[in-house]
Amino acid sequence: MSLKDVIHDIEGYQNIKSEIEVLKKYGFDHGARRGQFDAILEMLHPKSLRLRVSEIIDETKTTKTLRMVPVQGYLPPFQAGQYISLVVEVGGVVTSRDYSISSSPSQIGYFDITVRRVGDGFVSEHLLEETKQGDEFTSSAPAGNFYYNPLIHGRDLVFIAGGSGITPFMSMIREVTGRGLDRRIHLFYGCQWPDDIIFGQEIDDLSRRHADFTCTTVISEPPVGYRGHTGFITARLMQEILGGLSEKMFFLCGPEAMYAFCREELKQEGIPERKMRTEMYGPPRNVTTCPGWPEHIDADARVSVSMKGGETIMVRSTEPLMNSLERHGIAIPSLCRSGECSLCRTKLLKGRVFQPEGVKLRKSDRQFGYIHPCMAYPISDIEILLP
Amino acid sequence: MPEYDAVVIGAGNGGLTGALTLAKAGRKVLLLERHNVPGGCGTSFVRGRFEFEAALHQLSGMGSQERPGPLRAILNDLGVMDKLEFVEMENLYRVVWPDTFDITLRAQRDAITETLQDRFPKEKDNIPRFFDLVYGFSMEMIQGLFFKDPNISKEKYPLFFKYALIPTQKVLDEYFRDPFLKAVLSIYWSYAGVPPRWFSFGDFAIMLFAYIEFKPYHLKGGSQALSNALLDEFINNGGEARFNCGAQKIITSGGKVTGVKTEQGDTVQTRSVLSNASMLQTYLDLMDPEQVPKETLESFRSTSIGPSAFSIYLGFDCEPDEIGIQETTNFIAITTDMDEAFARWKTLEQQGVALLTCYDVSDPDFSSPGTCQAAYVTLQYGDPWNLVPPHQYYDAKYRYAEGMMGLAEKVFPGIRGHVEEMEIATPMTHLRYLGHLGGAIYGRDHYAKDTQYFMANTSPVQGLYFAGAWASQGGFQPTLTSGRSSAKAILKSMAKK
Repeated sequence: MSLKDVIHDIEGYQNIKSEIEVLKKYGFDHGARRGQFDAILEMLHPKSLRLRVSEIIDETKTTKTLRMVPVQGYLPPFQAGQYISLVVEVGGVVTSRDYSISSSPSQIGYFDITVRRVGDGFVSEHLLEETKQGDEFTSSAPAGNFYYNPLIHGRDLVFIAGGSGITPFMSMIREVTGRGLDRRIHLFYGCQWPDDIIFGQEIDDLSRRHADFTCTTVISEPPVGYRGHTGFITARLMQEILGGLSEKMFFLCGPEAMYAFCREELKQEGIPERKMRTEMYGPPRNVTTCPGWPEHIDADARVSVSMKGGETIMVRSTEPLMNSLERHGIAIPSLCRSGECSLCRTKLLKGRVFQPEGVKLRKSDRQFGYIHPCMAYPISDIEILLP
Repeated sequence: MPEYDAVVIGAGNGGLTGALTLAKAGRKVLLLERHNVPGGCGTSFVRGRFEFEAALHQLSGMGSQERPGPLRAILNDLGVMDKLEFVEMENLYRVVWPDTFDITLRAQRDAITETLQDRFPKEKDNIPRFFDLVYGFSMEMIQGLFFKDPNISKEKYPLFFKYALIPTQKVLDEYFRDPFLKAVLSIYWSYAGVPPRWFSFGDFAIMLFAYIEFKPYHLKGGSQALSNALLDEFINNGGEARFNCGAQKIITSGGKVTGVKTEQGDTVQTRSVLSNASMLQTYLDLMDPEQVPKETLESFRSTSIGPSAFSIYLGFDCEPDEIGIQETTNFIAITTDMDEAFARWKTLEQQGVALLTCYDVSDPDFSSPGTCQAAYVTLQYGDPWNLVPPHQYYDAKYRYAEGMMGLAEKVFPGIRGHVEEMEIATPMTHLRYLGHLGGAIYGRDHYAKDTQYFMANTSPVQGLYFAGAWASQGGFQPTLTSGRSSAKAILKSMAKK
């Protein structure tokens, strides 16, 4: 005898049995849910986007805005400050780069991305010089953690932007002024030269029309006779303009050097970690200067990378593993390219890699030998298991 | 075409234990996972200086080394224990109604009885009687049901036969008068996802019994450590895992599984599929409609999609003490009317009950020195979120979270001022990462009619098996166990051939 034979002896069993029979007749037909999952996901978190350049706007001599509309369907929502990872093919290499969306989240018809020429940036060069109206791209859905949280960030905000680091702030400023949200923003905008200032006219207009939005531009290499603020964005300047820094929330986006400088300035003023939010900035310009980089490995060092059950390639130690793989036509999932999002998480089977401070590995991923190839530099011959 | 003894769809808890069980038995196994990390719910994510535990609050069924529980036995068999370090929690939980009532129960029968008798002197005699029932029932269920007594009968196991399907609320009303006492004793309902009115006493009693007897646990590195350990052992046993690659179609012919087409477009041959995906969506979206037996879809009519969760992950720039957190597990309620609290799960209104877990209280190493973290969650159905237009989604998310934070501040004043990192997950977030309609974290609703006595977890499609919450119950222990059991069933059927 098993439970099956006596199951009807359980009190209430028969009642439930009859209830189930009724429900089988009249209950909801879940067949109607076929395909529903993909449809819901597509509205909020599509796996990828297909975008078309609808307009190209000249911003400065070195900067353009590419206005992107969906090839079909709708654009998903995003939070001002988030980015998309744009897939580009340059010279036969498929790679991706992150661009903060500079348009407002209220603008649901398009995403603007604003691209500035970077010294040796072959991707920015491609986007600025080769891209035409009507071109199509694939991108990720909006992602990233650099955004305002109304629950903890208060209403008094200080934005510190360096160069093209203005782009996520532009989205935030456009949203706050456009929707009339109850937040006060002061923008410190650091640029090398006056003609480097992106969105200068719009920022002027908005600050004239909105009492709660003000801006200070700071030029680091001013031409002779320049009359505005010059040098760096120092705590002293901030104190002078804002008259007190406590109770304010600071957001920083710009080059590596600016973070190091401004964060330290704010720390000296007693601003706690929780009052500063910093956007990530991709792999370091020169990894050999990172703390902990093994001294005996020079900039030209080459090592081998074998993929379990696959080919072996030769790569430079000073290039992120992900970029080297892409050079060899091996695409692994990528998103933040800053060691943060873990989408490229890969198992290291043999050898050693250098991962700069700030690479956000889970504790147990470290224990089980996982690395984030977008910010991992092979410093010996290695073997990896592709994800 | 490559051939596998079995293909496992989904590397959630059940998929991982299932895949590992099969690989350890020497079978050639392919594990497909559409996400880039193993674990499903059993995962973590990093923000700033914090690694947030996504889902595990209290691991049940572990027991100590000296008195191992059923889950410890399974993890031992699977060979992952030496890679993991478990942390026992001393207390069961704290329940607090702000400014009204506040109580903490130790995970120990006598201590609980004493504390409750002290706080509810009018119910002094009823309390031990109630625990006699919970324990008596559980012992009978273990002997009669889990150990499959061949002579099971109403006469031999009277408590089991009387109480297994009775609503928990009915038993509480029979034993007690004080609404706070009833709510304190049954508060696990808000964690299990079924209100006392519909929670079968059998499911409830065994849950309470197991947490008291085997203690609540957590582990170093969080649930991701467990998922990583299971995957690692799977790979060490020759298993093949593919991430960023879900299954697109289960191929069947003449009512039998013959293969699986992956999202990358290739097809593999196999006669056994263990699906750790939603059982409903396995039939709806992973199979051709004409291959799904008509009565299978019909049988789903008596069930509904279960709750999801609204979770706020909080990283604090201070130790738990500084913000008044003294317990790991804190239930916060605004009402003793649990039906009312449950009804709110189907709306975007202020929640009636929530759970704040601060792992650092039991495990001071959980977060980096000088910081701590909490997972703050209320269950909620996905439906109200389906009605929010995409471009109002973030506003709605913050509005709901604001209500939750307001509730937390009533118990932990000043908590907000120490938040350094915050991540908010709605049912839509869970839908996205788990791949389940409604963002369901526990599969179907688990009312009395959805218990094991009425639901078949086998499929009429030959070679198709299930693991995870849809195939058993929600929670870590049930899902980890289900993968193991289903893999054993697969091995048994292979042995027959």
